[in-house]
Amino acid sequence: MSEDRLARLALSGRRKFKDRAVRGAMLGATVVALVPLVLILYYLVHKGLSAWSASFFTTDPTGQSFFANKGVGGIRSALLGTIVMVALASAIAVPVGIGVALWLVEYGKDSWLAKVVRFFVDVLTGVPSILFGLFIYIVLIVGTGTSFAGYKGSLALALLMLPIVTRSAEVVLLLVPDALRESALALGAPRWRMVARVVLPTARAGLVTGSLLAVARAAGETAPLLFTAAFTYKTSFNLGGFMNSLPVQIFNDVTSPTEALVNRAWGAALALVVLVLLLNLSARLISRTGRVA
Amino acid sequence: MSERATIRPVEVSTPQAKPAAPAAPSTTTTTQAPTIAVEELRAFYGRAEQLKGIDVELPANQVTAIIGPSGCGKSTLVRCINRMHEEVPGAHAEGRVLLDGRNLYDPAVDVTAVRRVIGMVFQKPNPFPTMSIFDNVAAGRRLTAGRRAGMREKVERALRGAGLWEEVHERLSEPGMGLSGGQQQRLCIARSLAVEPDAILMDEPCSALDPIATLKIEELIAELKRTVTIVIVTHNMQQAARVADRTVFMLDGRLVEVGPTKQIFTNPHDPRTEEYVTGKFG
Ligand SMILES: Nc1ncnc2c1ncn2[C@@H]1O[C@H](COP(=O)(O)OP(=O)(O)O)[C@@H](O)[C@H]1O
Ligand SMILES: [Mg+2]
Repeated sequence: MSEDRLARLALSGRRKFKDRAVRGAMLGATVVALVPLVLILYYLVHKGLSAWSASFFTTDPTGQSFFANKGVGGIRSALLGTIVMVALASAIAVPVGIGVALWLVEYGKDSWLAKVVRFFVDVLTGVPSILFGLFIYIVLIVGTGTSFAGYKGSLALALLMLPIVTRSAEVVLLLVPDALRESALALGAPRWRMVARVVLPTARAGLVTGSLLAVARAAGETAPLLFTAAFTYKTSFNLGGFMNSLPVQIFNDVTSPTEALVNRAWGAALALVVLVLLLNLSARLISRTGRVA
Repeated sequence: MSERATIRPVEVSTPQAKPAAPAAPSTTTTTQAPTIAVEELRAFYGRAEQLKGIDVELPANQVTAIIGPSGCGKSTLVRCINRMHEEVPGAHAEGRVLLDGRNLYDPAVDVTAVRRVIGMVFQKPNPFPTMSIFDNVAAGRRLTAGRRAGMREKVERALRGAGLWEEVHERLSEPGMGLSGGQQQRLCIARSLAVEPDAILMDEPCSALDPIATLKIEELIAELKRTVTIVIVTHNMQQAARVADRTVFMLDGRLVEVGPTKQIFTNPHDPRTEEYVTGKFG
């Protein structure tokens, strides 16, 4: 009798065939999706590595050789400019973003104000990055009649990062079990102390991960910097003046007719990808040490 | 006395004020704990009234068990006693909870002080996951800005009080989460004790534990009542019979009967109590 049932319940030949066909189609789609990715990586590594040399990272782009194919220099000012501007942007966006998320989760909860804040955070997440640059351009450059500056680029990047940090932090904070909050409150802890000593340490790894992903995102953005920090050849740590950055230098170089400059763009692009990859990798490693998923 | 959060005004404080350092439970000294009186207590979640007027006295240095079918409001009642109920969004309570005569719902009373004086142990053991065993016990004091001096002694006394010292004193810096479930629950008890409360509320503290760990906690409760007033919610009637001096039977948000444990189990006055303790429903 059980044999009978097994025979009856077995998949028919037609259904087996369908199953195979669907599986095959999905595999095909996966391969198709992977092809451009592999090609991009191949070109990037191939072309980028040939542009790399020790001096590539230690010299500024020269800017003279518009038609010369030699002595175009490297990416030092762009690399350092990106690091400095993204650092300042993070110093603004990470504390503010986590602060907003803390308010939403621990105090705002389901109040109408929290709903309004959440709505605006969601809207900001979807805003094209060029609009952040445009906003800073109109307010801080046209509006004040002043020139481009690194800190203005940082502000545009911070605006871009803010919703990303807030959203990811809110998700992580919501994962902290309410039982821990209750225990702390039941010991007589004031709310803020419960948040500082129990919620934040428990969520630490997830908060760092979310912030690093936002940093990686900001490091690769061109649009917010184009008309806020602009472009320059010289290495500068003066956030009040023009600042170079990897994405903007790539943008400038790759559109030039000179082969050496296009090669420099490939080298810079590879450097940028490596930088972003490292940030993502550390985000993943840190998230593994987490207490909440 | 000076460093404990006192919410009792001087005129009603008990004559036998507790010494600042309560004796370890292994000695036989008893310190006077407060009596808790619940009066006309009503509790709401949103507009739903789930406690419909509770009056009950929880005598000093005694263990009072609260029994009743699931959903009858046992947890709500104990959470009203240390004002944790109001942490639930939209929830509020009306009525009075008197601690030696002082109303804890008086607007002048600081809610964090209430919780330091009346500690709480939850159903599921929940040590702070980022903290070591030592830090878990110390957390109560750190979270409440209790005095930091002599923390080691305080932690040791709390761990001894929770019957955990012998098992963990060699690995105080290891994570609290590494302990067994029963040890974690005693760690949570130690965490409450470290704040030096006058009363401890336990909401089904053994329901996640095995019988041996349960037995240890029950023994501990018998020790602890020398220094604190204890309220324990339990769905296990044998447990109530073993640990409690008095038992409260609740049904549907109301108190049905309260009396000495023995009387509740052997000679209940209310037929509903009899039906419940003889296992006819619940
Ligand atoms: N957070 C909450 N929100 C809404 N209703 C609740 C909440 N917690 C408990 N209740 C309701 O209050 C009543 C009493 O619950 P509770 O005190 O937890 O019962 P017990 O501990 O006796 O099982 C139940 O009807 C329950 O559904
Ligand atoms: Mg309950």
